[in-house]
Amino acid sequence: MKLSTKLTLFITGSKLVIVLLFVLALPFLIKEIASEYTNYTLKQQRKKVLTIVNKNGPDYYFQGDDNYGSYTILKEEFIALLPVDASLKLDTIKNSQRLIESDTLNYRVLSYTFKNKNKNYLLEIGKATTSINQYNNPLQRFALYLLITLIALTILIDLTFIRVLIRPLGKIIKTRLINRRFPFKEGQKRIETSTADFKYLDESLILLMSQINEAFHKEREFTSNASHELMTPISILQNKMENLLAEEALDEPSSMAIIEMMKTVDRLKNITSSLLLISRIENEQYIRKEQVQPLQLFNEIVEEISHRLEEKQIQISLNISPQAVLKGVNKDLLFQLFFNLIHNAIKFNRDKGNIFINDSYLNNGAYEITIRDTGIGIPKEDLPNIFDRFMKTNLEGDVGYGLGLAIVKSIAMYHQIQIDVKSNLNEGTTFSILFPLSSV
Amino acid sequence: MKVLIVEDEKTLAYEMEAFLKKSFYQCDIALTFRAGLEQLELNNYDFILIDLSLPDGDGLEILKKAKINNPDAAYIIITARTNLKDRVSGLDLGADDYLPKPFYLLELQSRMQAIARRKFNISEELLSIGEFHINLPKRLVLFEQEQIELSRKEFDLFSYLLLHKNRVLTRGQLSEHIWGTFVKDDYDSNYIDAHIKNIRKKLNVWADTEWLETVRGVGYRIKK
Repeated sequence: MKLSTKLTLFITGSKLVIVLLFVLALPFLIKEIASEYTNYTLKQQRKKVLTIVNKNGPDYYFQGDDNYGSYTILKEEFIALLPVDASLKLDTIKNSQRLIESDTLNYRVLSYTFKNKNKNYLLEIGKATTSINQYNNPLQRFALYLLITLIALTILIDLTFIRVLIRPLGKIIKTRLINRRFPFKEGQKRIETSTADFKYLDESLILLMSQINEAFHKEREFTSNASHELMTPISILQNKMENLLAEEALDEPSSMAIIEMMKTVDRLKNITSSLLLISRIENEQYIRKEQVQPLQLFNEIVEEISHRLEEKQIQISLNISPQAVLKGVNKDLLFQLFFNLIHNAIKFNRDKGNIFINDSYLNNGAYEITIRDTGIGIPKEDLPNIFDRFMKTNLEGDVGYGLGLAIVKSIAMYHQIQIDVKSNLNEGTTFSILFPLSSV
Repeated sequence: MKVLIVEDEKTLAYEMEAFLKKSFYQCDIALTFRAGLEQLELNNYDFILIDLSLPDGDGLEILKKAKINNPDAAYIIITARTNLKDRVSGLDLGADDYLPKPFYLLELQSRMQAIARRKFNISEELLSIGEFHINLPKRLVLFEQEQIELSRKEFDLFSYLLLHKNRVLTRGQLSEHIWGTFVKDDYDSNYIDAHIKNIRKKLNVWADTEWLETVRGVGYRIKK
């Protein structure tokens, strides 16, 4: 999951949890507040009544009666003052029922006893619970709407900020990491950001890439120089032996020894030439301007290699469309590429085996050639390494130098050809060679 | 014929000289750019073999200057600098052939012969062996009037052996001639033997081929 997605999800999620908690707690909170506020009002009212009683005496209320009671028209509030037994002592606020003019109603009642001129009085002030709770719902709704608006606003601000904040990271990923093709481009621009971490990341990536490039160039240069430098001494050895072999005074054992030495020099020469070929391809010393008909190319290769097919009695079935043409390629290199693949398909085939060469145009117009053999196959663990230099996966019989597929790989890279290998042990191997759209 | 070898690698120059002398070429050696230019001013040559990387100058410059004094000579560029640009500019400047190091001296000699045939109109183009006739420019092998189908490599091999008849050619020499710089991944393959087997099979249908000999352990020879 991308970082921005994760952050978005987390921020939205955490805020939703807060909203949920608040919504659950809201009725309880509102009720508490309402009841606290009611208690406060009741106490205020009691204070007022007591002040009046202290100042004017209870008779101010009684006006000749032995008690006093009053309520509002809708019976939302009542007040009662009456003398009680001296032993009664009360100072409570609680919910209870009262009967007022044949209506039994729920009230929050403040009961308070106080002494006035040695007489004990009970003061009761009540507020109907329905009237206490009447603002609860609108209040709850208002609080909820306010909260949701605020949360939505903060989410919006957070997400916008995060997007701005991590935009450089996205850029780093897009320009540095996605679809990286080796070798990396030189002189890449720094990504503008004020975040120190991203700056560090970007700079480190640029540094690493240029270090890899440098190592790669050095290795290339080394291969090129080394193989060039080896050519002259090999030349000398080869020519000296050639002259030596032509000596008439030479006896048979000596000439046999020279022949063996020449074979070894030949081997050295072939390895060096292979490395030189790879380095010349990598240094782009070949021109890619030719047009090639794959069918013609394969016919040439099959002719070159027919004696090998006969030797192992291998059937080759060539199913290539005669109209197919590849543009902007180097014919010699493609010859070498397919020659090496077919050569391997023969070398690692069983006697009387088969080789199938097919072509097809994919839906997007790209051209693909597949070479399938019925040979010994390649073990799964070796598959990732078969294109490496000097990699020999199969050590039976005549294995070559292990440069054949390395050459194939460098030719493919030079032509932007994609090679895919599938293999089953003892069943065979399939090489799929996918040409870029530009060569069709 | 007179040959000038411009090559800074002393041993290599001497080996080339030793080989070519046996085929009755007269050789001069120039180990430096300067010596090369001096020799060219003093003498006329039929062949000039030029190494491109000399310590005191570019071989291509020698080629340019030599063309002025020796316009009729044949030029072969010999170099370890096998990049395409050198090759193209060498041929553009009028070199007749281009031989990348390392090469077999036999291949060098055979290229020189081919140039000589072309340039000096030496008619070696119709060869014959046993009851077969070979037309080099048309690449035909004939038995009386009958044409024998040889593959391209088989013809190259057969004609190469014939041009160097009475001489044992090693598998390495034959292989270099028919494959050139094409890189092969096998060091001990027997494709030369397979080609020879095919040539014998195809020719034996018409007549005897005992003149095509196998020299055990070494290679092949056409004896005439």
